[in-house]
Amino acid sequence: MIDDKDILLIEEPKLTASERLFLPQIFDGMGTTIRHFFKSLVGTPMTVQYPEVQREQRLENYRGVHRLNRDEQGRVACVACFMCATACPANCIHIEGAESPWPDREKYPTRFDIDELRCIYCGMCEEACPVDAIELTPGHDLVGRSREEMVFDKEELLAIYDKTKDIKPRKNPRITGYPGTGNRPGAQDEQKEKHQR
Amino acid sequence: MAKITIDNKEVECRDGITVLQAALEAGWDIPHYCYHPGLSIVASCRLCLMEMQMPHPKTGEMDWAPKLLPSCQTPVKDGMVVRFNSETVKKNQRDCMEFFLLNHPLDCPVCDQAGECYLQDYSYRFGRAESRMVDQKTVNPKKDIGPRPLLYSDRCVICSRCVRFTREISGTFELHVTQRGSRSEIDVFPGRPLDNPVQGNVVDICPVGALLDKDFLFKKRAWEFRPANSICPGCARGCSIRIDQDEDVVYRLKPRYNPKVNDWWICDEGRFGYKYIHDESRVKGPILRRGQSVTRLLWEEIPDILRFRFQEHVEKHGGDKVAAVLSPFMACEEAWLLGRFIREMAPQAALAMGPVPLEDEDQRFPVGAKGEAVKFEISKEKCPNRRGVEAILEQAGGTVLAFEDFIEKAGADAFSAAWIVGGYPKPWLEKAVAKKLSGKSELLVVQDIFPNDLMAEATFVLPACSWAEREGCFMNIDGLIQPFDWAIHPPDGVKRDGQYLFEIAGYTGLYSGKRVRELMAATMPAFAEVLAAPQLAAHAH
Repeated sequence: MIDDKDILLIEEPKLTASERLFLPQIFDGMGTTIRHFFKSLVGTPMTVQYPEVQREQRLENYRGVHRLNRDEQGRVACVACFMCATACPANCIHIEGAESPWPDREKYPTRFDIDELRCIYCGMCEEACPVDAIELTPGHDLVGRSREEMVFDKEELLAIYDKTKDIKPRKNPRITGYPGTGNRPGAQDEQKEKHQR
Repeated sequence: MAKITIDNKEVECRDGITVLQAALEAGWDIPHYCYHPGLSIVASCRLCLMEMQMPHPKTGEMDWAPKLLPSCQTPVKDGMVVRFNSETVKKNQRDCMEFFLLNHPLDCPVCDQAGECYLQDYSYRFGRAESRMVDQKTVNPKKDIGPRPLLYSDRCVICSRCVRFTREISGTFELHVTQRGSRSEIDVFPGRPLDNPVQGNVVDICPVGALLDKDFLFKKRAWEFRPANSICPGCARGCSIRIDQDEDVVYRLKPRYNPKVNDWWICDEGRFGYKYIHDESRVKGPILRRGQSVTRLLWEEIPDILRFRFQEHVEKHGGDKVAAVLSPFMACEEAWLLGRFIREMAPQAALAMGPVPLEDEDQRFPVGAKGEAVKFEISKEKCPNRRGVEAILEQAGGTVLAFEDFIEKAGADAFSAAWIVGGYPKPWLEKAVAKKLSGKSELLVVQDIFPNDLMAEATFVLPACSWAEREGCFMNIDGLIQPFDWAIHPPDGVKRDGQYLFEIAGYTGLYSGKRVRELMAATMPAFAEVLAAPQLAAHAH
């Protein structure tokens, strides 16, 4: 139920006579198109002939299809903490956790689905992840024949990691924001040095 | 009433309580781990320390005492002056939090307590941002201490709430603290696991993630729930509970503080007894049977069809041939609506109440306690609303039968139209009884949550809902009427009992417990104002 006080009635703005014709706007828009058309005839064009020619991938900050990272032993790095699912504004991550079969880990995901069609590629999951298990890759050419096919499960997301790990290696895995608590090599020494200083 | 001054503000408080309790009740958020209002006071966590004014030994003037005092252990006295907002108190809180977190693994991402953890909350509000610990952390192993809870001793803050619970509330003495100092650990005695009928409570009172529920382990994160306040239907005590659900799946039940019934506790039978509501074998959708043919009915047409069939039957065979069996699992409102419908169709109709599932005797805790010493009770009556339905039958007047008499009479062909309500979580209709009742009724309405033996010949089969899907009120064994809310939607094709009984009884619109209670109040004033137990502030536990 929506409260009456939350309802705001907004009047549609009245169009002027020239706006109601729509012609000036159409000519304005066509002008831009034609300007770029002639510009690309004389200078370097803005577009490329895809897929023969492809732009260089922006590895640093492009937010494309997700991947699930593997740890040093090849296991899924995710600890099923649901932070990504909590941070996700599009509600496209579905996780089921269980007790992990490994002695050094507490919890792991038995199911990890991302609905790539629902995702808005904002990268909040990547930011929220405490172990840097979920990352966005430069992959942008994402196709599928059905909606179901576009829901990527754990195996598919791990496969994307295997494909992209060479061009974009996994970031430093840290457990928390505290220095010295991660399993990075040398993390403990760093902390000790800091205190000696 | 004592008047004390906390942080320069005058507070009136009850006599005989402690400063911490007075401050919590007046709205102060004082950090505390070992203090629990339902347990004895040990003042071991040192988080709630305060400054207090005392007469100076030399001058005799009132001055702040040089040492901090535990507010949880200091009883209030008229004219007392204390403060929590001084730098000394805050420094103590900060330092205590640092000590608590020294050996803490900081594994919040995989800890089930995250989101409702006092270690998280307090370190955020009263702690410091960074740990100065350089040495290796002590790692205590994960311990299996019993069938229900799991102990992660590395997360434990040794508040000893669980130990005191087993000593003071359950009276079973399973838990204890072994070792001393920084090596302290909670443990069980060899060969004596934590196994008592109220053990689930140690998970609730644990302020951190040290004691976790195996049943709920890794299932869900605490912040994902959309909870509803409810009443446990497990026995006639009617403990106040909270149903934690997400997307119409119930994940756990938690107790709600109710000083009149259950205080802070619930039993394991109630806590884990909800699983049947997600059973696949539940009755789905209403059915009409004509001879051999079975038709799925639409909910919209049911009130008219039922009214017509009952009217026709009464005209043909007379009103005294009609009977209804109400279930002690029905809410008061539902029982009243059904009783009203039956009596409207046939004023001479007989009403009865279904069997009350009984166990040998009540269970009282601490084990072996009697009278005043009893802290928690589990009733032997394993249904929530026997008294409520009895009260409604009594008010309805006319022919009211005991269930045994009903069976006897039905067996002797006394009734040709019957409405039988089940709703029991376990099979309730014994084979012999079903056999006696079978083939006697021309018009038989069976309303149940699980298929029973009578359904094969019922003219109408109406699906019933579990209590988590319904709304209404239960009257507990002491006659206390308590409302409960619905937490989840019924399965596909099933409508809430209250809603369809509301429509069948001739009302239109949306059913709500409050609306029906207003109608009931005309003849039963006890239902005029049914209030839920007042909710405690989150920090006051």
